[in-house]
Amino acid sequence: MIGKEEVIHIAKLAELAVSDEELPKLAEQLARIVSFVEELNQAPAGETAPAYLAGPEMTPLRPDLVDPVPLSLSPAEIAPAFVDGFFVVPRLGAMEEA
Amino acid sequence: MTWEIVIGLEVHVQLETRSKMFCGCANVFGAPPNTNVCPVCLGLPGALPVPNAQAVKLGTQAALALGSTIHERSVFARKNYFYPDLPKGYQISQFDQPLATGGAVQIESPERGRISISITRLHLEEDAGKSLHDRIPGKTAVDLNRACAPLAEIVSGPDMRSPAEARAYLLALKQILVYTGVSECSMEKGSLRVDANMSIRRPGETRLGTKTEVKNMNSFANVERALEAEFERQVGLVESGKQVQQVTLLFNAAAGTVKPMRSKEESHDYRYFPDPDLPPLVLTAAWIEEQKASLPELPEAKRQRLITSHGLSAYHARELTLEKAMADYFESVVNAKAEPARAVGWVLRDVMAGFNEGRGFPVSAVRLAALIGLVKGGVLSDQAARRVYAEMSTSDESANVIAERLGLVQVGDSDALGQWVDEVLAASPSEVRRYQGGETKLIGFFVGQVMKKSGGKADPKKVQPLLIDRLKGLRGL
Amino acid sequence: MSGEAGKRGSGAATALETGARLAKAEPLNAVLNWSQDALDAEGTRVDAMTTRGPLHAVPIALKDNIVTAEQPSTCGSRILEGYTSPFNATVVNRLRAAGAMIAAKANMDEFAMGSSTEHSAYGRVKHPLDPSRVPGGSSGGSAALVAAGVVPVALGSETGGSVRQPASFCGVVGVKPSYGRVSRYGLVAFGSSLDCISVFGRTVEDATGVLSVISGHDPLEATSVDQAPMIPETGFKSLKGIRIGLPREYFPPDLHPGVRAATDRSIAALKALGAEVRDISLPHSRFAVPTYYILAPAEAAANLARFDGVRYGPRHIEPPDGDVRALYQATRGKGFGPEVRRRILVGTYVLSAGYYDAYYGKAQRMRALIADDFTKAFAPRGVHFLFTPTTPTPAFVAGEKSEDPVAMYLADIFVSAVSLAGLPAMSLPIGRDQGLPIGGQIIAPYFQEPRMLALAAALESVVPGTAEVRS
Repeated sequence: MIGKEEVIHIAKLAELAVSDEELPKLAEQLARIVSFVEELNQAPAGETAPAYLAGPEMTPLRPDLVDPVPLSLSPAEIAPAFVDGFFVVPRLGAMEEA
Repeated sequence: MTWEIVIGLEVHVQLETRSKMFCGCANVFGAPPNTNVCPVCLGLPGALPVPNAQAVKLGTQAALALGSTIHERSVFARKNYFYPDLPKGYQISQFDQPLATGGAVQIESPERGRISISITRLHLEEDAGKSLHDRIPGKTAVDLNRACAPLAEIVSGPDMRSPAEARAYLLALKQILVYTGVSECSMEKGSLRVDANMSIRRPGETRLGTKTEVKNMNSFANVERALEAEFERQVGLVESGKQVQQVTLLFNAAAGTVKPMRSKEESHDYRYFPDPDLPPLVLTAAWIEEQKASLPELPEAKRQRLITSHGLSAYHARELTLEKAMADYFESVVNAKAEPARAVGWVLRDVMAGFNEGRGFPVSAVRLAALIGLVKGGVLSDQAARRVYAEMSTSDESANVIAERLGLVQVGDSDALGQWVDEVLAASPSEVRRYQGGETKLIGFFVGQVMKKSGGKADPKKVQPLLIDRLKGLRGL
Repeated sequence: MSGEAGKRGSGAATALETGARLAKAEPLNAVLNWSQDALDAEGTRVDAMTTRGPLHAVPIALKDNIVTAEQPSTCGSRILEGYTSPFNATVVNRLRAAGAMIAAKANMDEFAMGSSTEHSAYGRVKHPLDPSRVPGGSSGGSAALVAAGVVPVALGSETGGSVRQPASFCGVVGVKPSYGRVSRYGLVAFGSSLDCISVFGRTVEDATGVLSVISGHDPLEATSVDQAPMIPETGFKSLKGIRIGLPREYFPPDLHPGVRAATDRSIAALKALGAEVRDISLPHSRFAVPTYYILAPAEAAANLARFDGVRYGPRHIEPPDGDVRALYQATRGKGFGPEVRRRILVGTYVLSAGYYDAYYGKAQRMRALIADDFTKAFAPRGVHFLFTPTTPTPAFVAGEKSEDPVAMYLADIFVSAVSLAGLPAMSLPIGRDQGLPIGGQIIAPYFQEPRMLALAAALESVVPGTAEVRS
């Protein structure tokens, strides 16, 4: 069953800020949703099937041609922060990696 | 106390396609930042990936060259994590159903001789962009030109027992991939990247110790250095009663040290699942066979053939095959009717020197074969031929014409030779006395002097008997 | 298009008329972006076209998750506030090439997550017949615009019934094509294995005309089926020899009496046209909603990871001097509304270490079993079509289900299974109860849209539905 601890953990994985105030209600709602989807456990046992694909059974492959979909706005025009040709974000902090 | 090192390597190589893995942007480097991008590799809302046929083909060929089993059905999966240079918040990779599994690479271990390193798997994935941490103070700058470029990840078994073996494996792997033509495999350029996993254990122990991952090496030599440093670090920990923690370390090439990254708040939980934008990758057995049949000759096979059909020594065969281009050039020279034993000397000496200086192959194989033919026919001395070769590198003239123009055609008539011999003996009275006193090895000195005097034109095979003859005659005086 | 939408004159005139209707319809809050200037530009463009396309001067509204380079595309979310896409969706290019005029971007539940269009960050959409009620969702804005006569046709998107359900609530035709029939390139992804751009029309004929234009293979999408655009079939003269299944799981004892009465009348009408009607079973359909609420959130959690404040969209950093995680968490925390947050969290949960098999793996298997039920029903000697109510009730009152997410999810109980199976299905108006429209659902085998639409046209001609709403 999903509790507050679990919500905090998955919120971190999903990089979503969750305030202390909203946590109890959110945990309760998520618990309700999760217990709802657990109705699947009532499905008759022993019924198995391979993963289902609604569309094509195999991926088409693209010929190796340089043919990008053009952009009508440049990265600079859509970016919230753009300096010297680069997207700019705050320092990485705890995510620091080579 | 002795320790056994256990090393496994994860190698990412960029596949040499014209366009990116999942979009039509050019697969090139060096463009101004964020100019080689489109909706797909920017991760724009609504954009969708379509795999590149050539990337699949190159990945398959790489796997076949490693002796892997190609799976007729493999699945692209999303590897979910947040990072500024990962545009979609997930990387399209392959997880539980990779393109290929199994295979092996034969290496020469400095410690264990000829051994086989197993390949666990090879899968296809897209590259991330680049994060630059030092460009803007306090900020990270992101360039997505590289995002979505095609990569093959090749995972070895934990089969290496020393940093030197790791390096030997990388050399052998690179050689195979370059021969196959799938990747340039330059660590310096980033087209081959290595993550190394290492643990230590007591000899005889079968369980694996806690492994660490070492990153940030930019040359094969640095992989070896980094692993040596990490070995020292792990031994230091264990021998002082501490435990090895499962961490990722960064190699500092300047200091020659490894340093654990700041530990992450979360352990990795990539939440892999099949990418719903991409149905399974399905290859037919016939197509796979076709790829297998079209593989070029691999280094090992080439070495064997050079030994058996051209009579080369194992050493020469190994040296020649280090670079596919060199081996191919050698074979062209031989095909142009040069004697293999002479050709190998030329290729490994004069040709390779130029190649290593980045001059490529300025003298065509046919022209070199002609030059070698002149030496064999006694028209040019070896020394003269080297001068001719140097000239040929910068001109289109044939060896014959250059040799004539430089007056290097070997002189064999005894009048001219006698003249030079007499001059040399007259100019070296003390050496003549010492020779006559029994120092017969001075004959080499006289020959050299004659050759010098003749400007390399004298035929040394005729000079020596003439010298011996004259020195005998002088004794009688 | 030879129906109502086809009786168009010049683009300039259409622009003026449509603009007037859009202005008048503003109280519905069905539109997120339109302007007379943009409409006029579209009018001028189609008037300059040398050939008259099949949708010449037809104004069309697009759900706001279909990206357009000419106007913003927000997906009903704060996280894309002010965002204009640097490229057009494939369907937009095809519509414009066919002479259609992009008239407006329609309001929607944020990222298509919802069944009432109450989850839009830009306010709820009102039902055109009763402003206290919801138009359904998530494509509620598109449905309301067609129902209110502002545009004859509109595009919505379906992940689990988001066109059929609002079509039913609003009394218009809503057609969900087979998965892979219409390009998803440029549809902002929610549940990629389920998402289908779908069509609203006031009549079956109008919807058919639009579907013919937007369908067909797109090399930019790997899940696009390699088939030519749909060619409509001429209508049935009689339904003799046509077998229609009534899956008993879709007619529960507690079905709303008005819905039951309307479907009974339609069934009688189908029989009167010569169809053979059979009672059949789709035993796994009862697991469709929970299956859907594992798979769709799992895919959504990954699809919505790209909204991170790095490359586009508004950005928040909390605290202001924080690191990149402070950027991610604040941008996403402030940018996503409550339902989207819930689904991202559920989707993250069901894929997280140790839970994959219990949730995602199990749901994948159940999806196959649900689809297999349909395959069996449509097997040779089985039925040609299925007929069911589209929704268990007519349009509900706003606020009624917003406190209980699961109650809202169950509004899609009759439409989810089809989405999981990837089949074509549609809702068409089959009557009213106390003034509120009721929809009937036709489900067809994979890629059998032409026959499905022909059957719907036959039913439409004998069952009072659309005409009644229109009057």
